[in-house]
Amino acid sequence: MARRSGAKTELNTSAMFDMGFQLLTFFILSFKPVPIEGQISLRLPPPQAVKTQTQTAPSSQSNEPADVVQGVDTIVISVFAQPNGSIAGIGVGEEGLPGPSALNVRLQTIFSDPAIPFEQVIVQVAPNLRYDELMRVIDVCTRQVLPDGKKLSKLSFASLGGE
Amino acid sequence: MARRESAEANLDMTPFLGLVYLLIGFFMVITNFKAAALDLNMKLPVVGSARPVETGGQQSLLILNIRPIENAQGEKEVALTTYGAPRFDVENYIAGEAQASLLTARRDNPDLQAGDELPTTVVIRADQTTPFRLLDRVIRACQENGFRNFALKARDPNEK
Repeated sequence: MARRSGAKTELNTSAMFDMGFQLLTFFILSFKPVPIEGQISLRLPPPQAVKTQTQTAPSSQSNEPADVVQGVDTIVISVFAQPNGSIAGIGVGEEGLPGPSALNVRLQTIFSDPAIPFEQVIVQVAPNLRYDELMRVIDVCTRQVLPDGKKLSKLSFASLGGE
Repeated sequence: MARRESAEANLDMTPFLGLVYLLIGFFMVITNFKAAALDLNMKLPVVGSARPVETGGQQSLLILNIRPIENAQGEKEVALTTYGAPRFDVENYIAGEAQASLLTARRDNPDLQAGDELPTTVVIRADQTTPFRLLDRVIRACQENGFRNFALKARDPNEK
């Protein structure tokens, strides 16, 4: 058996270099920093039958028979839209409001009264309202602190006009 | 003056090679392939109260990139962009994802039945111009398949 003795062996690193640079090029080219995004966490159950403070009979929002559905105490926020999709006005129950700032004040008043019971907040939205405008309304709603100290995070959406 | 002739110049490339592999390691660690599921060309709305993602260890997320796309009739139609490709079969896609989510959730809760509330959080990334009727269609499809927890993505106004 032949023995190599005293021979200096040199490792050819060219191939390793090639592979290293190829990998490096791939990772540099595929690198795309992801922007930091925020989020609003919500619990969105389907809307239930409505029973407002002044209205004890179930509304027409439910398709179930009136004698079966008892309805729950509800705050209904209606968001109307202009043709370009921006907010035209907001209604809380029967009361009209000019915009999200006024809605904030109104909701703070409502939730500051611990005697007001409610189980759901339904946001009725015009079909053509843009998402960024809707988020302004959601932003106001999720800032509200309930009488029990928790933040409002349970909303239901319905399309205005019954679509 | 002494001259070195016929001396073979050998450049030691070992540190250089080490640096290259160090850079490769760095890029491997910071590359997030999950970002490929996000439609980064989308313009998200800007909301002051949007908070950074807190999954609390929860890994079960369904990411929906919602974008209004004009169809052949010139009407805006909802499309879910998954890995860059638009999908118009919204209800079928969500039903399929709900089925997958149900199977995953059954590992922790074998009693879970179809139609029960799913633990998966639906992450909605919608373009800011999306009209509500399109968004509502997606949300309803999710609700009908048992999804209740939603996260609406937005940009922080302080982020540039």
